[in-house]
Amino acid sequence: MAEMWISMGPQHPMTHGLWTLKVKVDGETIVDADPELGYLHRSVEKMGERRKYFMNTTLTDRLCYASSTTWTHCYVLSVEELMNVEVPERAKYIRTIMLELQRLASHLMWAGAYMPDLGHITGALYFWRDRELFLNLLEVPSGSRLLYNYIRIGGVKRDIPDGFQEKTERVLKLFEQRLEEYADLFENSTIFRMRTEDVGKFTSTQAQNLGITGPNLRGCGTEFDLRKQDSYEIYEELNWNIQTREAGPGYSDCFSRYMVRIDEMHESIRIIRSCFKKMPKGPTLASSIPIRATGEAFRRTEDPRGEALMYVVGDGSDRPYRWKIKSPMFTTISACPHYLKGYKLADIPAIMGSIDICIGETDK
Amino acid sequence: MSLFDVCRTMAEWTAKYMFIPIFEFQEGLFPPFSNPAGDLANWFGSEGGLDTLAWLYAVNLAFMIGMTNLIIVIHLERKIAARIQDRRGPMLSFRSFRELGEDLAGNSPTWKFKENYAGIGILQNLADGIKAITKELIVPAKADRFLFTMGPIIFISSSVFLLVLFPLSDRFAASAAPAGLMVIMAAFSIAPIGVLTSGWASNNKYSMIGGMRSAAQLMSYEIPLLLSMAGVFLLAGSFNPVDIVEQQQESTWLFGLPMWNIIPQFLGFVVFMVCILAEVERVPFDLPEAEAELVEGWTTEYSGIRYMLFLAAEYIRGFTGAAVATILFLGGWAGPWPVPPEVWFLLKVYLIIIFWIFIRWSVPRIRTDQILELGWKKLLPLSLINILIVILMVEVYPYFSQVVNLPEVF
Repeated sequence: MAEMWISMGPQHPMTHGLWTLKVKVDGETIVDADPELGYLHRSVEKMGERRKYFMNTTLTDRLCYASSTTWTHCYVLSVEELMNVEVPERAKYIRTIMLELQRLASHLMWAGAYMPDLGHITGALYFWRDRELFLNLLEVPSGSRLLYNYIRIGGVKRDIPDGFQEKTERVLKLFEQRLEEYADLFENSTIFRMRTEDVGKFTSTQAQNLGITGPNLRGCGTEFDLRKQDSYEIYEELNWNIQTREAGPGYSDCFSRYMVRIDEMHESIRIIRSCFKKMPKGPTLASSIPIRATGEAFRRTEDPRGEALMYVVGDGSDRPYRWKIKSPMFTTISACPHYLKGYKLADIPAIMGSIDICIGETDK
Repeated sequence: MSLFDVCRTMAEWTAKYMFIPIFEFQEGLFPPFSNPAGDLANWFGSEGGLDTLAWLYAVNLAFMIGMTNLIIVIHLERKIAARIQDRRGPMLSFRSFRELGEDLAGNSPTWKFKENYAGIGILQNLADGIKAITKELIVPAKADRFLFTMGPIIFISSSVFLLVLFPLSDRFAASAAPAGLMVIMAAFSIAPIGVLTSGWASNNKYSMIGGMRSAAQLMSYEIPLLLSMAGVFLLAGSFNPVDIVEQQQESTWLFGLPMWNIIPQFLGFVVFMVCILAEVERVPFDLPEAEAELVEGWTTEYSGIRYMLFLAAEYIRGFTGAAVATILFLGGWAGPWPVPPEVWFLLKVYLIIIFWIFIRWSVPRIRTDQILELGWKKLLPLSLINILIVILMVEVYPYFSQVVNLPEVF
C-alpha cells in the first residue's frame, strides 16, 4: 500500500476532545504525524484581563473539566503571591484534600477514557463508576459536581461539613478494594500488556527536552514532582513519596505511564488520610483580602497532567494586566510525532490515550 | 421421524390442498391455450416436486429457528454485558407501554420505574429494528455505487446461508451434505470478500484499512482453524456432522463416560476456539471495525438497515461458530436421555456463546501484527501438534497395542 495521510479528528473516537491528528501511514506503520490544535480556543487569558481577580476563578474552573480544582488552585496561588495574602493553616489542609480528591477523580477519568481506546468498554464503566464516588465527595463541601469554584483567593469558600472525614474514609476503603480487583482485569491481563508494553516509548532526556512533565515524565523513572520539588500548601509536612515507574533504563512506555497513575492514586489516598489526621482547627478564609495588586507573580503546581504554570501581572487596578497560562498538555501533544513514529496505526489510541489528553486546558 | 419426514408430510398436504388446486384452477381459466400452470400442477404431484417442496420447508424452518436464536443471542449479549458492567441493560417491556398509554390519554407520565420499566427488555430488539428500518440509506457521493450495494449482499447472504448448514440433531437437519462441515467453513470464508468489497467501495480511508485488515486476518487464522478441525475429521473419518457426533457418542472413557473430542484433542479445541473468535470477528479480534482508531472500520459509511443487518449477520456467524465448536468438540447433541437432543445441542451452543460474551466484555482488542504473529507462530504449530497426537492415537497406538498386547483405549 502506498503512503497516505489519514486525518483523525476533529471528531474521532481517539481524540478525547477537539483536535486533529494527521498521520502519514505506510500500510499500517506510522511514518509521520502532525497534530493540529486550536479548535477549542476560548481566549481565557484575554477574558481574564477584563475581569476582577476573584472573578477569574470561574474561568480557571472551566480550563479542564476533568480537574477544575487544580487549575483554580494554581491561579489562586499565583494571585496570593501577587497580593501577599496569608492563607490560614486549616484552609491549606482542606485545599490539599480537595486537590488530591480532584487528582483521583482526574486519573479515574483518564483511566476510564483509556480503556475504550484499547477496545475495553467495561473498563470505562468501572473507572467512571468509581469517579462518581469522588465526585460525590467533592460535592459535599463545594456544592457542585464538575466545576467547583471552591478554592478562593485567601482560603476556601467554606469549611468542610461534619462527617466529611468519615464519608471520605468509607469511599477510600471501598476504592482501595476495587483497585485491587482491577489489577487482575487490567495490569495482570496478557492482552492489556500486549497492547501497552513497548509501545509509545520515549526516554527521560527526550521528555525533558520536549517539555513533557507530570506522570508521563515520572513514567520514565525520573523523580520529578512539583509537590516535592517546589512544594506548596502542606505537601512538605506530609509523609509521602514520589511515584515513579520505568519500562526500561530511563524510558517509558504506555504500560509504565499507566502504572504511574495507578500508583499515584494509591499515594493520593495516603496523602488524604494523613491530611485528615493532622488537620488543625481554625478559620478557612484570610481575614482581609485586597482587591488591587501591583507587580508580577509566577507559580507552578503539579496538575494531574503535568506542570501547570501561571504568570499574573498586576498594574495596580483590580484586574490582572496580563495573565499567562502554560498548559502541560500543549507541549505533550505537540511532541507527539516524536513518540508516534514507527508504531502501528492501532497504537495511536493506545499512545495518545496514555498521555492523558485534556483539550480544554491545551487550547485555553 | 426426522425433520425431513415432517416437512415431506407438510409438502404433501400443502400440495394436495393448496398448490395443485390453485394451478389447476389457473390452467382452467384459458382452455384453448397451453398453460405452464398445468405443468406446475403435475410437478407438485410428482415425487421430485414434493421432495423439493419438503426441502424448502425444512430450510425455512431452520432459518426461522436460527433467526429466533439470533434474537436470543443479541438479548443475552446485552443483558450479560450489562451485568458485567454493573448496569441493568435494556428493560423495555410491554408494561412500559402503560406509560405511553397514559401519555396518549392526556395524563402526565408517572415514571414509575419499578412498575413500568422492569421487564426483561426483549422489546428493545424490536425498537432497534424499527429505528434501523426508518433510517435513510446513505450512499456516499464518491462511493462506487454498485460495489457499495454488493458488499452487504455478499456479507449478509453468505452469513444467513450458514443458518441452514448445521444440524441441530441427527433428526433435525435442513441439509445433509456428506461434506457438511467443509461447506460451512467455505461459506464462512466468503464474508471477508464482502468486507473487502464494501471497505473499498466506501471511498473512505478508515473503511479501506478495515477491509484490508479483514483480509490480513483471514490469512492468519484460516489455516490453523482448518488444521485444528483436521484432527476431528481424522478421528471420525468423515466431514459429516452426524458421523462426527456419532463417533463421539460411541467412544467411551473411564467408567464408561463419553469421550468427546475435547478430551483427547484439548489442544485442538483451544486453537479452534481462538481461531473461530477471529473468524466471527469478536473482541479481542474485531480489528476490521476497531472503533478506537478506525471510527467503525469497514462499516463506517453504512447506515440504517444495512448496518443493522451487518450486526445481525455477525451474530449469526457467532451462533454458527459456536454450533460448529459444539459439533466438533463438545459431542454435539449427545446427552442423557430425558432431555431431547436438540435441547442438549442448544444448551452447549449457548454455553459457548456466554463464554464468548464474558471474553468480549473483559479483554481489550489486540493489534493486526499481533494476530498475524499469533496465527502463524503459535496457533499453527499447536494445531500441527494436535494432528500428530491424533495420528498417534488412531494409527500408531492400535498397531503397537496388537504387537505388545496393550489395553484397548480408543
